Amino acid sequence: MNLPALGADLCVKCNICTAACPVAAATDLFLGPKAVGPQAARFRHPRLPLPDSSLTWCSGCGTCSRVCPHGVAVAEINIQAKARLAEEGRVPLRDHLISRPDLLGRLGTRLAPAANLALRLRPARWMIEKVMGIHRRAPLPAFARRTFRRRARARCVDQPPPPDEAHARTVAYFHGCGTNYYEPALGELAARILEMLGCRVVVPRQGCCGLPLQSNGLFEAARGYARYNLKWLSPFAHAGIPIVGTSTSCTLSLKHDYRAILGLDGEAAEDVAEGTYDIFEYMTLLLPEALDRLELLPVRARALYHAPCQLRAHGIGTPALEVLRRIPGLRLAVSESECCGVAGTYGLKREKYGVAHAVGAGLLEQVRSADLDFVITDSETCRWWISGHAGVPAHHPVEIVARSLEII
Amino acid sequence: MPSLSTQLLVIGGGATGLGVAWDACLRGLKVVLIEQGDLGQGTSGRYHGLLHSGGRYVISDPPSARDCASENRILRRIAPHTIEDTGGLFAAAPADPGDFADAWAAACRACGVPAEEVRIAAALRREPLLNPRMTRAFEVRDAALDSFDLLHALTGAIRGAGGQVSLRHRLEGLLVEDGRVRGARVIVRPSGEALTIGADMVVNAAGPWAGKVAQSAGVRLPFALGKGTMLAMASRLVHTVVNRLKPPSDGDIIVPVGTVTVLGTTDVPIAEPDELGIEGWEIDLLLAEGEVLIPELPRHRALRAWAGVRPLWRPEKGTDATRTLPRAHLILDHEERDGVRGLVSVIGGKLTTFRLMAEQAMDIVAPRLGNSAPCKTADTPLEKPGQHYFALPLRWKEIDPPAHPPSPDEVICECEVVTLSRLEKALGASETLELDDVRRDLRLGMGPCQAGFCAYRAAGVAQALGRDARGSAWLLEFLAERWRGIRPLGWGSGLRQMELTRRIYLELLGATAAEEAQP
Amino acid sequence: MRDLLIVGAGLTGLFSAALAARRGVRVALIAEGRGSLELSHGCIDVSGGLSPHLVVQQSRADHPYSLAGLENLEAAIREFRSLMQSAGLPYSGDLGRALRLPTALGTEHATSLAPAPLAAGDHASGGPLTYADLIGFRDFHAGLAAAEMARLGAPVGEPLHLPLLDAPAHRDSYATDLARLFDDARRREEIARAWKPQMRGVRRLALPAVIGLDRSAEAFADLEKRLGVPICEIPTLPPSVPGLRLEGALRRIAVEAGAWLLDGARAVGRVDGRSDGRRVSGVVAHTAGGPRQLDAAAVILATGGVLHGGLVARQNGLVQESVFDLPVTFRGEREDWTSPSALSPQSYARFGLTVSADMRPIGAHGEPLFENLFAAGGILAGADRAAEGSRQGIDLATAHRALEAAGA
Repeated sequence: MNLPALGADLCVKCNICTAACPVAAATDLFLGPKAVGPQAARFRHPRLPLPDSSLTWCSGCGTCSRVCPHGVAVAEINIQAKARLAEEGRVPLRDHLISRPDLLGRLGTRLAPAANLALRLRPARWMIEKVMGIHRRAPLPAFARRTFRRRARARCVDQPPPPDEAHARTVAYFHGCGTNYYEPALGELAARILEMLGCRVVVPRQGCCGLPLQSNGLFEAARGYARYNLKWLSPFAHAGIPIVGTSTSCTLSLKHDYRAILGLDGEAAEDVAEGTYDIFEYMTLLLPEALDRLELLPVRARALYHAPCQLRAHGIGTPALEVLRRIPGLRLAVSESECCGVAGTYGLKREKYGVAHAVGAGLLEQVRSADLDFVITDSETCRWWISGHAGVPAHHPVEIVARSLEII
Repeated sequence: MPSLSTQLLVIGGGATGLGVAWDACLRGLKVVLIEQGDLGQGTSGRYHGLLHSGGRYVISDPPSARDCASENRILRRIAPHTIEDTGGLFAAAPADPGDFADAWAAACRACGVPAEEVRIAAALRREPLLNPRMTRAFEVRDAALDSFDLLHALTGAIRGAGGQVSLRHRLEGLLVEDGRVRGARVIVRPSGEALTIGADMVVNAAGPWAGKVAQSAGVRLPFALGKGTMLAMASRLVHTVVNRLKPPSDGDIIVPVGTVTVLGTTDVPIAEPDELGIEGWEIDLLLAEGEVLIPELPRHRALRAWAGVRPLWRPEKGTDATRTLPRAHLILDHEERDGVRGLVSVIGGKLTTFRLMAEQAMDIVAPRLGNSAPCKTADTPLEKPGQHYFALPLRWKEIDPPAHPPSPDEVICECEVVTLSRLEKALGASETLELDDVRRDLRLGMGPCQAGFCAYRAAGVAQALGRDARGSAWLLEFLAERWRGIRPLGWGSGLRQMELTRRIYLELLGATAAEEAQP
Repeated sequence: MRDLLIVGAGLTGLFSAALAARRGVRVALIAEGRGSLELSHGCIDVSGGLSPHLVVQQSRADHPYSLAGLENLEAAIREFRSLMQSAGLPYSGDLGRALRLPTALGTEHATSLAPAPLAAGDHASGGPLTYADLIGFRDFHAGLAAAEMARLGAPVGEPLHLPLLDAPAHRDSYATDLARLFDDARRREEIARAWKPQMRGVRRLALPAVIGLDRSAEAFADLEKRLGVPICEIPTLPPSVPGLRLEGALRRIAVEAGAWLLDGARAVGRVDGRSDGRRVSGVVAHTAGGPRQLDAAAVILATGGVLHGGLVARQNGLVQESVFDLPVTFRGEREDWTSPSALSPQSYARFGLTVSADMRPIGAHGEPLFENLFAAGGILAGADRAAEGSRQGIDLATAHRALEAAGA
């Protein structure tokens, strides 16, 4: 894959991306998306070492690509350059480790009580920072004792099930690592809501989406996960069974990154990309009548809805907001921040933590000062980051809808 | 009238004239060079940037091919900092004549032009955007040569050796007495002051203007002018020079130069050296031919077009087509040819062979001045020791923040990385009379935004330095100059860029519209 | 199914969305990227300093002003002013008298409405100006402005060069970096303290438009108070902060009023198959994943001209409309599209859609192409808005007319 094909040449230098970039606003070590993207691309030579290290400050939130009106895939240009840094051997060991949530999760859930205790202890976090470079104040989630897959064993399938007379639709649920290892209850609620909307919910075989590896420039390893997922998910997509997810970053990988960033072409990648939905995108666009029939009961609370950067990158707006607005009694404010700061694994890194914190400072301030009952946001890493820093609970919109449906 | 005198007067500040002056300096002669505009404002600054391997001429013009091959080696030795060793490929497209490749390869061997056939897969690994359906590919020793850098190096060397290079000295006429050229009358710009330069010998290296120079001594030079249009794509699509493996024709060369890719060239007969208007068909032809070698070319942006003029010797009875005229150069000793003493003209040639032309001219001139020193230019390095080609990534590295402590240097032209300190230095030079002069020195405004942002910034700096006393005049002139070059490419992204520039200046900054528009 | 779908997120699209949403219309807005407000001085140019009434009356029959008429212009201006008032970004001026504002090139910019910090520079409303630039900020040069203003015969003070504290040091500052700096009360206080000694003899201080982004009203008032002299802002190179403030305010109004904003997806028009080709049914959004169908009762095209992609000018000499492939009115060969001088009127600037008096794009015989498709703003044919000084007047007036015609 070559850079100009990502539209670097189409850049007219207007600075729309620069103005919108949350990282450039927080640190001058980052030259800004236009500069390290289409501009620096003209100075990179395939046979000479990369001249720039500034791009390691890019958090990969994707805001630049989304706001560009000229068709420049700014974030994609940057991540390709990061992959070259990785090829040149300029990625620290720590990044290899935190990019594998499935490995950490498998280990962590097995040792959950002890592991969770250790992560709450200050000396342990100090040690982890020293040894692994994970900032001691970066909020880390607690491991679940039982994974989602174990709790939902009855739904797990390897192949698309035959059509079912009782249900108009079957959906394949992509839970991702966050739900599987940390928030299994979220997956169960998502499945129940989809069932209340008339769907049969199955859980196909799946692995980590690979996004954390990809964000750290470790493309080959990310492709390994991507191929695994495509192998197991494409039969569902091919059979017309939509793949519905609650993790906005995982669904973004399936929809976009496998093709546009990891360069995986072919029918499987295409079928999966076109057949993947965020859960609220699916409800609002494909089940509008069922949604209208849903009896939503009041949730008397004050909440702030934050659309994660990775959801915004889907290009579908904020479908959860469309549903949340139907809940009686819920007093919603809407965050204007492009990004909470953590951007996946970015904010965990010792050297990036301060910048991530500055990126999200406005949002955290808004959360702290608004006398909220909770924050609502679709991405797990945003929830952990926001609740960990602002001391206000943060929920997936599915949990609030579940409350309104009185299934929790 | 002020006057000065010298042994040798050279007319023309392109590569040829500067080469002659440098050669003369090294032979120990006293030399003055006059140039009507700025360095590289003529043909030398308006070329495609190719240091020929010679491969292009092995069939059509073997002597030129041999000259190119040997000069290529010499220039790499004496001016390595002006040359990016990209290497070159000759690639045959599916529709190109099938029998040409073998004849061409044989001719390369005969001319001593190194060319090695490579597998298509290897060529594609080297240049992934090339047409995968090309049928043959050969590697040659082409390179990219930055003519502005070369002209600067020559000027610096001449001045360092005591020679004089006088820019914006426009020739009014040669001084001829008793059938002998004895110097020239010159108008100095912008003052308009007249100056007489007495000289024992005059070398006419005025390129496309050489006919006019000779005419003022009563000598007729029957030569033709061929306009060649080139265009720059906004980024580097290849990192190797790519030639079409077929007989020389329009649009047969692609050269990566700095941050851009140059597609060249057309060949259109013109009557006057300033007829540089670019026509739509030339642009379409260059892009269509480029697409044969780089199929995804239409997805990329054509940034800017310009034209240069080839001065070509026309045999007494020639055709109108300039493509078929020989590319070889010619040294005319007007004493021998026309009975006019003291004048030698250098006609035609290529940038690659400028040094050889200079050597041959000076081999005639020096003895007339009683100088028997041999030519030394082939063995005298032009740059300071340790100076290397300023590779693209190094240019960017200068502004990569984490590697450096906080720096007060501002980046004025973001597209081409021109910093405030470089700009101030260039603006400080007395020879800088407008922002376009800075552009030729520093590449200011030559990137994708075509000065949309940096024209304002640079004008602000110039004003602060007291250089532009006429309010925003420099700014508006520079914008006008840039607009000329993007106009032929006014569609798609090019038109977007033009409209952005217009909005910035008319709406955001408050430039006054050239004419009123009524709703 | 929405009542109204707007395509485009410039002034036209956002104003339409904000106004429609405030009126209780179920509105969605889709845009491939951000619109052109980042390139805007934030003022409402109506008639280049001439009388708006005369300009509208005398404009050619195919000019957008002729079609929208004076009553829509006046109503739009009223609505705009009231929206901005409610958003805490009050505008000064009216259609009766042009404001004459100082520019970065020392000339006068005649406009009809301006946000308060810019309106404070009005020729008629204060003493002579002293331009000040900010040391190290490459995008504003006080000397250039002052020299030109003096040359034009206006009284102007010696230019000042004021120090910046805490500005980015590792890279150049963009206007947005500085604006965020001024949002911070503590930094503002330090800056004012450093500048104060240079205010002696200054009657009115003209600063680049960087005094605050999210809290600009507060920042401007506070800085003025601390400096003890009247200040005004001058627009400069993009990212243009006054335009971004306006964009932010309109987005906020639209979202708070319930509009659904879809950023980062390309829209392709859909004709309603059941209407015998007489109606459009909405668009297909090309999202990060698959295409998604967005249905609406009416569609307003506000995609802009050649700069923002509403029109696409091709190498082959054709000009296309990018969403519905509507017929575009354009003239001449490619070489004739532009004029030899950048700052002259341009032929291409008048290209666009020809519409009926109710803003419906029409075909060759003057017939509306679709019953429920409308167009407004920069995509309309017949006006060179940069040369006329009519850009925002046309945006607002035609948006207002289109909303009315669409029944919103």
